[in-house]
Amino acid sequence: MSRLRSRVRLVDQARVSGVALRSRKVRSVLSALGIAIGVATVVSVLGISRSSQADLLDQLDELGTNLLQAESGEGFGLGDDTTLPDTAAAGVRNIAPVQSVAMVTELGESVLRSSLADPDQTQGISLRAAEASTLDALAGTMAEGRFLDDAIGAYPTAVLGAVAAERLGLTEVDGRTSVWIGGRSWLVVGIMDELPLAPDLDRSVLVGYAAAEAYVEDDLAPTRLYVRADADVVDDVASVLAAQANPEAPENVDVSRPSDALEAKAAAEDAFTSLFLGLGAVALVVGAVGTANVMVMSVLERRGEIGLRRALGATRGHIRVQFLVEAVLLSVGGGVLGVLGGAGVTRGYTVWNEQPYALPAAAVGYGLLAAVGIGVLAGVYPAARAARLSPTEALRSG
Amino acid sequence: MSGPVLDVRDVRKSYGDLEVLHGISLTIGHGEQVAVVGPSGSGKSTLLHIVGTLDRPTSGTVVVDDRDTSEMSEAELAGLRSHRIGFVFQSFHLLDGVSATDNVAQGLLYRGVRRHERTHRAREALRRVGLGHRLEHDPRLMSGGERQRVAIARALLNRPAIVFADEPTGNLDSRSGAEVLALLGELHAQGTTVVVITHEHEVAAAMQRRVEIRDGLVHADSLASVAGGLR
Repeated sequence: MSRLRSRVRLVDQARVSGVALRSRKVRSVLSALGIAIGVATVVSVLGISRSSQADLLDQLDELGTNLLQAESGEGFGLGDDTTLPDTAAAGVRNIAPVQSVAMVTELGESVLRSSLADPDQTQGISLRAAEASTLDALAGTMAEGRFLDDAIGAYPTAVLGAVAAERLGLTEVDGRTSVWIGGRSWLVVGIMDELPLAPDLDRSVLVGYAAAEAYVEDDLAPTRLYVRADADVVDDVASVLAAQANPEAPENVDVSRPSDALEAKAAAEDAFTSLFLGLGAVALVVGAVGTANVMVMSVLERRGEIGLRRALGATRGHIRVQFLVEAVLLSVGGGVLGVLGGAGVTRGYTVWNEQPYALPAAAVGYGLLAAVGIGVLAGVYPAARAARLSPTEALRSG
Repeated sequence: MSGPVLDVRDVRKSYGDLEVLHGISLTIGHGEQVAVVGPSGSGKSTLLHIVGTLDRPTSGTVVVDDRDTSEMSEAELAGLRSHRIGFVFQSFHLLDGVSATDNVAQGLLYRGVRRHERTHRAREALRRVGLGHRLEHDPRLMSGGERQRVAIARALLNRPAIVFADEPTGNLDSRSGAEVLALLGELHAQGTTVVVITHEHEVAAAMQRRVEIRDGLVHADSLASVAGGLR
């Protein structure tokens, strides 16, 4: 006699689970929402962090990582003399792979908006003499007007850093704009954009060396050198920079690489990312518990249906798979919703911050994988309970 | 397939120390229409679950369609139910929010029949029970009599060797009950073997044969009284 076997086609099994979810729409959507929120958090955190990094890397690319900065150190017993020797720039130029050097000297004079301003209110703005090559060395750009050059650098003309301009209340350059330095008026010829490689220059007003010598003070030994070197030997140049800048006391020279600060910023954002990812994980766990809860309730409510299906020939295995697939469908539905939401949040964030949009494929993959895993985890126990129910017990309750 | 559809031999069922069925023997042949009657607590529902292979007897054998169920695994019993047995319940057990056709089509789900054919046969079955005009209706919007007819269509879909109906009119008003009884009569006329469990005398009276269960034993069997000497 032929053996009689129960079997369900796979598509039908999925359909049965899908119909069950559809006929309880509100509950399904709400419990999927819990997972969606968790997945959206994870995806958007990864997306935003990747976009910010892409932005920083773009910036680094543009700015170059081959800039070095040599500064007179504030070592012990140096007294007030915090300058480099006058010969520093010439010494550094002797290093073969050095492409360019720009010299900057910090001046003691304060910068005022006009002759009527209180001379003690400097608003943290410092005055510096700078060479014409400084802007190029820092890969900077002008927001308004032009930078100092050899022609106008001899006259009382000034260029404002972005922050300095803001604090002075100046937004445009019209040929009459001026600031008050050392008892005379200086014509403002330009305002710089922010300089990511030299944030302290943002808070400075720059004048030419010739003008500084003529109108401010005559000791113009450099306080800082900006050095562009061949990219592949930057480290070697850095190691000899101090000795070349100040052969007598190389230990008094601080050498640094401004792009390191930007890289550190990118790394710091990674730390934040881990923190937020942790929050996303907590949201996912809460979502999983919610789904498991909904599934357990569903099994209790649908004892009659379980009994009926057993009477129609379903095995325990069929019942188990039905509820497991339901949980996974619920969770994956939430996952898809969450990926879309997370991508949307990332998109919004990058548009708002004018950053490049980058959504790592891994974020999408992990998000969906997490959803499947949660579905299985949340479904195993309720499905086992449903399968364990004996048909007579299940039918009695209906 | 020459033997009886259902052959029950000395079935006992105990829950702990409490014995509910004390050794029931019963044979039902092809095309019979049988009412199993008895007061509540007589053990008739337990008997229905056991002969329907939803539960196992503590001792004794149940042979359905020439297959001895005592040697079958759980999965084999499920297979037997999906192919050879149909159920009708007092509370219908229809899926809410699912059309009448799809509800009936569930009857072939666990035989691996494709959706297209399931749907086709479900419509046919619904027409057979007089619900051709209600194919896409949600059962929640139907009367009790209509709902039970949907359930009967579902039970018939796998062309079972035997249909068990547990108080099929228990939740219906008398008019709907009569409707369902008439339908069961038609099925009998077409050759379906039907066993109805009931405590209602009008239902029992409408059946061809009556088996009375009392205190876990067969108290009376109208067939035995007709064919008395045979046993």
